Amino acid sequence: MTTGKFLVRRILQGVVVIWGVVTIMFALRAVSPGDPANLMLAEGASEELIQQVRMEEGLNQPVYVQYLDYVQGMVLGDFGYSWRSNREVEAMVIERIPATVELAVAATIVAIAISIPLGVISATRRNEPADYGATLFSLLGISTPNFWLGLMLILVLGVWAGVFPTGRRPVGLAEAIGTLLQYGYAGDLLTWLKYITLPAITLGTYFTALITRLTRSGMVDELGKPYVTASRAKGLPSVLVRYKHVLRNTMIPIITVLGLQLGTLMGGAVITETVFNWPGLGLRLIDALRIRDWPLMQGIVVFIAIAFVSINIFVDAIYASLDPRVGEE
Amino acid sequence: MCSKRDNGNMPHGINRLDRRAFIKSGVAAGTLATVAGCLGEDPEDEEEFVITLSQFPDTIDPLDHITGDYFDVYDHIYEPLFDFEPGEGIFPRVVEDWEAQGDGTTELSLRDDVVFHNGDDLTAEDVAWTINRTIDPEFGVPSPIGTFGLGSITGAEALDETTVSVQYSASAGLAQFEFGNYARAIDKQWAIDNHDAENDAITGADPEDFNGTGPYEVVDFTSGEEIVLERFDDYWGDEPPFERVVFNADNESSGRVASLETDETDLTINILPEDVDTVENTDGIEIRNVTSFRTIFCPMKNTVAPFDSQEFRQAMNYAVDNEGIVETVLSGFGEPRGQPVSPGINGFNDDIEPYAQDVGQAESLVEESGYGGAEIELQAPQGRYLNDAQVAEQVADQIDQLENVSCDVNIGDFGIVSDANQAGVDPDEFEIPFYMIGWGVITGDTDYGVQGFFTIPDNPNRTFDDEELSDAILESQQIDDPDERREQLEEVNRIAHEKAPFVYLHTQESIYGIREEIQWEPREDETVYIWGMEN
Repeated sequence: MTTGKFLVRRILQGVVVIWGVVTIMFALRAVSPGDPANLMLAEGASEELIQQVRMEEGLNQPVYVQYLDYVQGMVLGDFGYSWRSNREVEAMVIERIPATVELAVAATIVAIAISIPLGVISATRRNEPADYGATLFSLLGISTPNFWLGLMLILVLGVWAGVFPTGRRPVGLAEAIGTLLQYGYAGDLLTWLKYITLPAITLGTYFTALITRLTRSGMVDELGKPYVTASRAKGLPSVLVRYKHVLRNTMIPIITVLGLQLGTLMGGAVITETVFNWPGLGLRLIDALRIRDWPLMQGIVVFIAIAFVSINIFVDAIYASLDPRVGEE
Repeated sequence: MCSKRDNGNMPHGINRLDRRAFIKSGVAAGTLATVAGCLGEDPEDEEEFVITLSQFPDTIDPLDHITGDYFDVYDHIYEPLFDFEPGEGIFPRVVEDWEAQGDGTTELSLRDDVVFHNGDDLTAEDVAWTINRTIDPEFGVPSPIGTFGLGSITGAEALDETTVSVQYSASAGLAQFEFGNYARAIDKQWAIDNHDAENDAITGADPEDFNGTGPYEVVDFTSGEEIVLERFDDYWGDEPPFERVVFNADNESSGRVASLETDETDLTINILPEDVDTVENTDGIEIRNVTSFRTIFCPMKNTVAPFDSQEFRQAMNYAVDNEGIVETVLSGFGEPRGQPVSPGINGFNDDIEPYAQDVGQAESLVEESGYGGAEIELQAPQGRYLNDAQVAEQVADQIDQLENVSCDVNIGDFGIVSDANQAGVDPDEFEIPFYMIGWGVITGDTDYGVQGFFTIPDNPNRTFDDEELSDAILESQQIDDPDERREQLEEVNRIAHEKAPFVYLHTQESIYGIREEIQWEPREDETVYIWGMEN
C-alpha cells in the first residue's frame, strides 16, 4: 500500500469515527430525560409557547427525521443555535478555541521544559538520588488527579501565598502580544502569564511525568548502544554525546507522543478549565452540560472529536512520510 | 474601592496591576519583571466593582430567561420600570405615576427625559410593545416571562408619547404586583433590528447590541466570560456609586469564594453553607445573608395514590423534621415553612406554623388514609438549590423511617424535576408524582406562588386538583380592595397548609460574600442592585 492510500484509509476511518461521535451524541440527546422545549424556555412557560417551540425546532418530527436533519446540518457546517443564548453554535465554539489551544500549548511547554532535563538527569544518574527523585516525581505526576492538583495549587499558591490568581483569563495571548507590539506595553503579557501558570502546571503535570519516563527509558536504551561507546572512545565530551547524539535519537518517539497527546490535552482541559474557570472549550462544555444546552454540547464534542482525529491523521502523515514502512504495514 | 483584579483590555487604560499585585506577580514571573516600569496604580481602579455570579447571562435579551443571575446584570442595563421594595410594594422609577381606571386597565405615566443608550428617546410605544411581547407568543419576538410574571396582564397600549394603558383580567392589585415587578422597556426599533428571524430571538454578542435605559451601559462583552458596564452619562436618575462594574461568573461556590479571598472580586452570590466559615475567617470580607422569597417544597400530585389522600399528604409533612434539616444540612441558613410563601410576601399567613415532626401522628394518619405499606419515591435535583440533594435525602430518609411507608430518593438532573412540574395532573401524562422543587415569589404577592400550582381553569400544568383551593385563589384575583385581597390570600395559604399539596420544607437564605467596607444589605427577592450600595 502506498503512503497516499494509507492516508486515504486513515481519513476514511476518521470520518467514520466522527460520524460515530455525532450519532452517539444524537442518541444521548434522544434518550435523555426532559422535554427539550421545556429546557429552552423558562419554568412555567405556557403550553402554547412550548408547542410553538417544539414545532419551530422540529422536535415534533419522528426521531429519524430529526437525526437526518441533524447530520445534514453537521455536514453543511450548521451546528444550530444554542438553546440558552440563541447564538450560532459555530461562533460559540470558535471563540473558545484560542483559550483552549493556549492552555494546551502552555501545558506542553511546561511539560517539555521540565520533563526533558529531568529525564536526561534521571537516565545519566541511574540509581542515584536524582534518579529516585525523578522517578518519584513521575509516579506522583501520573497518579495525581489533576482536579485535586489544581485545587491544591489554588489553595497554596493562590489563596495562602497570594502569588497567583485563582482563575479566569482576563486577556488572551494574541491580544496581549498585540498590545505589546502596538503600545509597547508588556503588562497584559505578564497578566496572561500570571493567569495561565497554575492551569498550565495542572494540565501539564501528567504529561510531564509521562515524558520524563519516556525520556529516561529512551536515554537508557540509547546510552547502551555501541555508537555511544564509539563516540566516547573517539574522545567526544560526554555532554556532547548525551545532548547532541543520544537525546536527539531519543526525541523521535517523544515527539510522536507529544503530537498524539495534544489531542488528549484538549479533552483533559475540560477538568482544568472548570477548576480554574478558564474560559475555553472545556468550560463551555461543562456550562452547556449544566443547563443541558444540547446543540452547544454536541458542537463542542464533535469539534473535539474532529480535532483529535485530525491531529492523529497529521501525526500519521508525518510518520508515513518519514518511514514508508508505516504505509506498507 | 476596587478588586485587585487584572483587566486585560488595553483600550480601557493601562490600569491592570497595582503595586501589591505586581510584587506578587514578580515572584511568580521574575523573568518578566523588567516590564514592571510599564505598570502602575491608576485611580480609576477605585471606581471599579466586580461581581461574580454563578451563571453568566449569555444573551442580550433581558426578557429571555427568568433567572436571578441574569436579572442581576440586566437590571443595570435595562432597568425596571418601577422600584420594588420587598414587603412594601412598588415605587416610581421610569414610571412616575400610575392609576387604576376601574375598568380593567391601569394608566402608567412615564418620565419624559428617559433615553436609551443608543440615544433614542423612551416612548410609551416601547413600553407597550415590550409588555405585549412578553404576554403574546404570536407577537413576533416571543419571551417566556409573561406566563407567570405577567399572568393576569392581557395587553398594553400607548395612549400618547408618555402614557401606557395596561389591560388585565384580574384585580388591579394583582396586576400591579405583576407589572410592577416584571415590566421593562426595550427599544422597539432596536429589538426589531436585532431580531434573528431564523432563530426567532433577539441576538447579538457585541457591546453595542445591548440597549437599555439603565444607569449603566455595556462597554465590553465577552460571551460566557465577562460583561463590563460603565456609567451612562445621559442617565435620567442619580449617578450610581461606581464608574465601572464588571460581572463574571463561576459555577463553583468554592471558586467564587477563592476569588473573593484573593481580591479578584468584590461581591459574590450563592455561597454554600460549607464555604461560609472560609469567608468569615478571612480578613476584609464577610458574609451577608437574608431569608429569601424562595421556598423549597415537595409537590404531591393528588390524582394518583397514595397522594390522593389528604391524611397521607399531611402524614408526609409530619414525618419530616424541617427544623433539623435547616440546622444540619443548611447550617441554619433557612427557615422552616408551612405554607407556599415566605414572610414579607403579600398574603403570608402569620398564624400558620410549620408542621412539627411527629412520627406517631404521621404513622396514624397513614393508617387512617388506608395507604399503610405504601412505597413512594422522591425525585430531586442536584445543585439547583441550597444543598438540595442532601435535603432530599434527609426528607426521604425521614419518611422511610415511618413504620408503614417506604420511601426512596432519586437524585437527577433538574430537567426531570422541571418536566414533572410541567406535566400536569392527568395520570396518563406524568410519571413522577412526588418531587422536590423551589419557587421564588419574586412579584412579592402570594398569587405568583400559588396560581400556577393550584388553579384549575386554563392551567394544564397545575400540580394539584382541588376546587376549594382553586376557587379561593380565583376569588382573590378579582378583589380590588388591597386589605380584603390580602386577607383572602392569607386564607389561600391557610387552605394550602391544611390540604398539604406539598411537603413543606423551608425558605432558603441567600448567602453573599462581600468586601466589608461596602454598605449594602441583601434583598429578599435575590436581586443585587448597584444603586443600593455605598462605598
